[in-house]
Amino acid sequence: MDLQRIARIAIVPAFLAILSTVGGAQTSSEIGPNVSYSRKGADTCLACHDDEAILALFKTRHAVPGDPRSPFGHGQLQCESCHGPGGEHAPRVRRGQERPPVIDFGSDKDTPVDVQNGTCLACHDVDVGIGWHAGPHDSDEIACADCHVSHAALDPVLQTSTQADVCFDCHQLQRSETLKAFSHPLFEGKMECAGCHSPHGATTIDQMIRQTVNDTCYECHAEKRGPYLWEHAPVSEDCSLCHAPHGSNHPGMLSSRAPLLCQSCHSQSGHPSIPQDAGGLATGMPSQFLLGQSCLNCHEQVHGSNHPSGSKLMR
Amino acid sequence: MNALKGYKNTAILLFAIGSIVGPAAQAQVTDTSEWLCEFCPFESGQQADVSVGASSVSDDSAYFGDASGYSEEGVYANLDGTGSFASDRHRLQWQAEDLGLDSRVAALRGARPGSFDYNVAYRQIPRHQSFTSDSIFLQSDDGTLSLPAGWVRAPLTSGFTELNASLERRDIESERRIIEVGGNYLPSSRFKFSANYRRQERDGLDVYGGSYFTQSSLLPGSFDYATDVVDFGIRYAAGNGIISLDYYVSEFGNSNTELRWENPFTSSPGSEFAALARPPDNSFQQLSLSGRYRFSTFQTVASFTVAMGRMEQDEGFLPYTTNPNLAVSPLPRSSLDAKIDTTNFAFNLSSLLFRKLRVKLNYRYDERDNQTAQNDWSRVIADTFVSGESETNTPYSFERSVLNLSAEYKLFRSVRISGGYDRKTIDRDFQEVAEQTEDTGWGGVRWRPSGAWDIDFRAGASERDMDQYNETVGAALGQNPLMRKYNLAYRYRRFGEIRIAVSPAESPVALTINGLYADDEYTKSQLGITGGDDLRIASDLSWALSENASVYLSGGSENIDSEQLGSELFAAPDWRATNEDHFDTVGAGFRIMQIGSKFDLRMDYTRSDGTSKIFVDSTSGGVSQFPDLKSTLDFLRFELSYRRSDRLDYTMKLRYQKFVAEDWSLEGVDPATIPVVLTMGANSYDDEVLIVGLGVRYLFD
Repeated sequence: MDLQRIARIAIVPAFLAILSTVGGAQTSSEIGPNVSYSRKGADTCLACHDDEAILALFKTRHAVPGDPRSPFGHGQLQCESCHGPGGEHAPRVRRGQERPPVIDFGSDKDTPVDVQNGTCLACHDVDVGIGWHAGPHDSDEIACADCHVSHAALDPVLQTSTQADVCFDCHQLQRSETLKAFSHPLFEGKMECAGCHSPHGATTIDQMIRQTVNDTCYECHAEKRGPYLWEHAPVSEDCSLCHAPHGSNHPGMLSSRAPLLCQSCHSQSGHPSIPQDAGGLATGMPSQFLLGQSCLNCHEQVHGSNHPSGSKLMR
Repeated sequence: MNALKGYKNTAILLFAIGSIVGPAAQAQVTDTSEWLCEFCPFESGQQADVSVGASSVSDDSAYFGDASGYSEEGVYANLDGTGSFASDRHRLQWQAEDLGLDSRVAALRGARPGSFDYNVAYRQIPRHQSFTSDSIFLQSDDGTLSLPAGWVRAPLTSGFTELNASLERRDIESERRIIEVGGNYLPSSRFKFSANYRRQERDGLDVYGGSYFTQSSLLPGSFDYATDVVDFGIRYAAGNGIISLDYYVSEFGNSNTELRWENPFTSSPGSEFAALARPPDNSFQQLSLSGRYRFSTFQTVASFTVAMGRMEQDEGFLPYTTNPNLAVSPLPRSSLDAKIDTTNFAFNLSSLLFRKLRVKLNYRYDERDNQTAQNDWSRVIADTFVSGESETNTPYSFERSVLNLSAEYKLFRSVRISGGYDRKTIDRDFQEVAEQTEDTGWGGVRWRPSGAWDIDFRAGASERDMDQYNETVGAALGQNPLMRKYNLAYRYRRFGEIRIAVSPAESPVALTINGLYADDEYTKSQLGITGGDDLRIASDLSWALSENASVYLSGGSENIDSEQLGSELFAAPDWRATNEDHFDTVGAGFRIMQIGSKFDLRMDYTRSDGTSKIFVDSTSGGVSQFPDLKSTLDFLRFELSYRRSDRLDYTMKLRYQKFVAEDWSLEGVDPATIPVVLTMGANSYDDEVLIVGLGVRYLFD
C-alpha cells in the first residue's frame, strides 16, 4: 500500500471526525468526546430512577407533553434535555467500573456549575432576565439548583411561606437579623426575600426589585413617598440611613433609638442638643424627650409633612 | 494523472459526505422516535391536597398575632390546600393557606404553556402592635378624636382628675390586604407581553404624637390607605439579545386628609383643637427600557437599564392653623403641585478575557430632581402662636453615581483571587455637602482545597470625603457648626467577610460559618457620630443521620457599637453617648420521616436574645447608664403526622412561643407619668402562647 493510497483512505475519516466536531459539539450538555443518548429516553431512566422525588417532576411544567418547549414536548430529549446524554450512563457496567455520570445539579455535585447553569439557561435565559451576570449569585458560582428544586410539585423557593428558608441556607447573617425583636414578617412566612430583592440579579444596588432602595420600600409603604411640602432630607435619599430592614432590636426597625438617633444629626440649641440620661426615666424625673415615643411625641411627621405649618415636622 | 484523478474523486466524495452529514449532524442530535415515554406518569385531570383542622390558642398576644393571625385566645378553624388541573394544553395550580385566619392566602396560577399564563392572588397580613394601650380619646364620625364628656383640662397630666375614669383599652392593630392579578402572553417565541395589577389596602389604628408646643398627647388615630400598582411590559428576545420596555404606575390614596384632635391640656382660647396633616395622595409613573446582549468575543455579556419617572402630589393644603384667633397671611398656594423627576441608568459588562480571568464593570446613575416650587410660609407654632418669621420649603434633589470595577483570576484550580475598586459620588442640593465621593478598594481569595471545603474571604477599605462641609447651611437651621451628619461626614471604613463551608462528599455532616466585620471612623466629626463597628457571625451544622432522619444546629451572634458626641452649650463637645446592640440566636431541630412507614416527626427550637446598652457621659450630669433594653424569644414547634393511608394523614401541631421585652421607654410609663405628655401607657411585651392544632389531610385525585 503506497503513501498516496493511505492518505486518500485516511482523509475521509479524518474529515468526518472534523465535521462531527463542528456539527455535534454545540450544547453545553455534552460531557465527553463520544456522547450518545439512551435507547428509549425517559423510559430508560425511569427503569432505575422511579422514586417519588424523581417522579414529582411530572407534576411540574417541565413535564408538559403539549408544550413543544418542554423537555417532554414532542421531539424533545426528555430527561436528557437537562441531564445530558445518558447513553453511557444507562447500560450495565462492568464490576469495579464506575458508572459514567450524567449532568447532576447542585453546588456539591461533580458537574461544574457553569455547565449546570448553562443547561438551565439554554431554555430559561430569557426568563432569568437581564441581570444575572451583573449579580453576585453568578460571581459566586451559585448553581440554579442550589435554590430551585425542579423535581418538586411546589418549588419551595417559589412559595412565599418557604422562600426565606431557602435563602437562609446561605444568607445566615440575614437569618439572624430577621429573628430580632422587630423585623419584616419573614419568620412567619408572610413575606419573601424576593419582595425586595431580585435573586436572579439586577442592575440595581443590592439587587433591589425597583430602581432604588426607596422605590422598593414604596411598593408597600407608598404613604412615605410624598413628595411633601416639608421634606426630611435623609428620608428622601435612602430609607436605610435610619432603618435596618432585615431586623433590629429597636421598634420600627430603627438602627438605634430616639433621641440618640435624632441627636446624631440634630444639634440645635435647646432640647435637641441636651443629653438625655437615665435620670429622665419613669423612676426619676420622667422626660418627654426620652419616654413614650421620645422625639416623636411631638415631631410625629418624621417622614415629611404636607402641612403649611409643618416645617418642624410637628404638624 | 491517475493520482490527480484519485484526489479529485476523493474531494468529490468528501464534498458529498459533508453536504449530507454536516447539516444532518447539526440538525439531529439523536433519533427520538422510539422514546414513547410509556412509563411517564404525566399529570392529567384534577388533584387536590386539602387539610382541615382546628387550633386552640392559649392567650391573647399582640406580638405573636402580628402577621400570624393567632392574636387572640380561642379556637381557630384551619383550612389549607393545594391543587392542580392538567390537560394536554392547560395547567392550573391553586393554593390556599390559613383560610380560617386573618393571615389567609389564596392563589391561582394557570397557563397554556408556550402561549399564555395568568395568576390571581389574595393575601392578608394582620398587624398587631399593642394590646395594652389605653386612651381617653373618642373617635367621632368625622374622625375627630374628642375628649370624653366631663373632661377637666389641666396644664400637667397630674391634674387630669378624670383620667382614670376616662381611659379605655385601644388595641393598636391594622390589616394589610393585597390582591394581585396578572398575566403574560407569548404570541411567538420572541415576544412576551405582560400586565400586572396589584391593590394594597391598609387600615386600622396607629399611634401618633400630637403636639401643643410644650405639651403632647399620643393619639390612637385611624388610617385608611390604598395603593394601586399597574405594570405593563413588552419583551423581545432573539438570538443573543433581549430588550424589554416596561411602564409602571403607582397611585396612593388616603381616605383622610387630617387627624384632628381635642387638646386635653389647658390651652389658650382657640387652640382647643389641632390637626396633623395625613400622608397626601400621590402618584409615581416610570417608563423603563432594559436589555442584554451576549457577545461571542470573550464570553462578554452587556446589560443596561434606562428609566425615567415622575412623582406627583397635589393634595389641597390644610389651613395654617385650626386656631381662629390667630391672624395669619394667606397661603402662598392652595396645593403643592409637587413634581419630582427621576432618572436611572445602569450599565453592566462582564467578560472572560482569558480562560482564567473574568472582569466586570458596573455603572449606575440615579437622579432625584425635585422640581417642586419654593414659597415662603408663615410659621404658626403648634396652633398656639404665630412666630412672625417665614420659612421657605426645601425641595431636596440629588444625583448619585456608582462605578464598580472588579476582576477574578483562577490562580490555580482550587484558588481564585479577586479584587475591585468602587467609586460612589453623590451631589446634593440644599444640604451641607454638595459633592461627596467614596472610594472603595477590596480584595478576596476563594480557596477550595478539595470538594469538601470552600473558603471565601474578602476584605477592603473605603474612604468617603467631600469637597466641603458647608456649615452655613446647617447654621441657617440653627445647627451647631461643629455638627457632622453621619451620612454626609468624612468616614473611613474597613470591612471583611468570611465564609467557610465544609461538606465532605461521603459525609452526612455539613458545616457553614459566615462572618462579617465593619469598622467606621468619623475622624473629622467633632459632633455627631464619631465611630461604630459591626461584628456578626452565624453558623449552621446539619447532619443527615439516615435517608429519613436529619438534625440541625444553627446560631448567630451580632454586636453593633456606636459612639456619638454632643454639645448642650452649643460649643465644643461636652457629652458623649455610646450605644451597644448585642444579639444572639440559637436554633436546633430534627426531622424523622417514615417512622414505621407511618409517622413523620419534626421539631424546631429557636431562642433569640437581644440586649441594647446605652451610656451617656456628660459634663452636666456625669456618667449615666440606662437599664438594658432586652428582648428574649423562645419558639418551639413540634409536628407529628400519621399516614393512615396513601390518601389520608392525621396531623398534630404544637407551637409554644414566649417573647419578653424590657423597654425603659414603656416600663412604668402610665398615661400620666410624663408631666407634659399624655401617653397610652403601653407595656413592654410579655407574651406567652401555646397553640395546639389537630388536622386531617386528604389527597383527592
